[in-house]
Amino acid sequence: MKITRTKAFKIFFTPIWESNPISGQILGICSALAVTVQLKTAIVMSLALTFVLACSNLLISLMRKHIPRNIRIIVELTVIATLVIFADQVLKAFLYDVSKQLSIFVGLIITNCIILGRAETYALGNPPFHSLLDGIGNGLGYSQILITVGVLRELFGAGKLFGFQVIPDGFYALGYENNGLMVLAPGAFIAIGLIVWLQKTVSKE
Amino acid sequence: MSKYIKSILFAAVLSFICGGLLTLASTGLREYQLRNMTLDKNKNILKAVGLLDDQKSYPKEAVAQLYADNIRQMWVDGGGKLVEEKKDESDLPVYLFFRQEKIHAYIIPVYSRGLWGKIAGYMALKNDGATITGFTVYDHQETPGLGGEIEKKWFQKNFEGKTILDDQGTFISVTIAKGAVKGQIPENRQKHFVDGISGATMTGKFLSAGLKETLNKYEPLSERFRMNEIK
Repeated sequence: MKITRTKAFKIFFTPIWESNPISGQILGICSALAVTVQLKTAIVMSLALTFVLACSNLLISLMRKHIPRNIRIIVELTVIATLVIFADQVLKAFLYDVSKQLSIFVGLIITNCIILGRAETYALGNPPFHSLLDGIGNGLGYSQILITVGVLRELFGAGKLFGFQVIPDGFYALGYENNGLMVLAPGAFIAIGLIVWLQKTVSKE
Repeated sequence: MSKYIKSILFAAVLSFICGGLLTLASTGLREYQLRNMTLDKNKNILKAVGLLDDQKSYPKEAVAQLYADNIRQMWVDGGGKLVEEKKDESDLPVYLFFRQEKIHAYIIPVYSRGLWGKIAGYMALKNDGATITGFTVYDHQETPGLGGEIEKKWFQKNFEGKTILDDQGTFISVTIAKGAVKGQIPENRQKHFVDGISGATMTGKFLSAGLKETLNKYEPLSERFRMNEIK
């Protein structure tokens, strides 16, 4: 059997493109708007979310046969909140500057609907290995949109990438100007809208 | 075992484990976090007196060394005197920038209201007790691209050389103008105004008020610098 036909492969790759949590299911938009002004914050946010999503899926799947039905949402949230606070503490200890820029948005991963959504719809009913793959896949799907939007916004909004000037000074001398809209939240809406459009057009074919 | 007791037990065990893990993480990482916070504060103080460039990044050791060599923290008591230790609740912190054993500038922490939240920064004043030598903002919630420009170099640079005293020597603080200073404010008063940010009139208004309040609190100290009582 070819590797692309295996179930694990499908679980991992479907959320990256076909049913991408942001562009396919339009979930988790809030953080995608807020942290994508710069590429660096977008990448750190992506890593944090992927970590939380993978771990929460794995842990909840491991406990799925023991979690009492009537308190399952509370249990899921407790696990997610613990992981998020842990990620936040680690960022504060080792990546202080970035954590300052992300400010409240790391904490808000708790309320990111992608995580609770995957826990409810996938991890509760599937074995640990597949749940872990599903978590990583969804995390990467979220990440690739965030990073694409981050590149677009930092490049056109500030003429930089990773804080380094990439648009040469000569362009500015010729009258080129940074696009102020890209720095604001509506710029991210437009960028995400374009990506959704692109994705829907490509997947149809 | 009834369903409810099982639920309660499960929740209790889970909370216990999660709580324990978080306590471990928090106490284990506390030292690193505190170190980062102090470093960040020191960086901003150094930026206010122009010893660090905003655009570059510096290794931790260099920042610590630069801070230890140039800056000393003291307190200001109610009468504007500098004291080594905080004695009274109303004593205010101040950071002194030494150059050749003499105080070259003093740096005061600024807390102001902004449009969306608090603005925090540092303002450095020259040892004549009247001229601003630098201003930095390290924390704010203003709109990026509009009020958020207060964290940018071009805005902060405007403060350099402005004076908080009028020609008669009375305190009038420094104000953020609505738009550009040139052509709008009479020539003889331009030294009390800095260029505002277009689209962020409210941020400017709140920050002007915050600066005035802070500078006013430190007036007893500034006065002593003016009278040449502090060397």
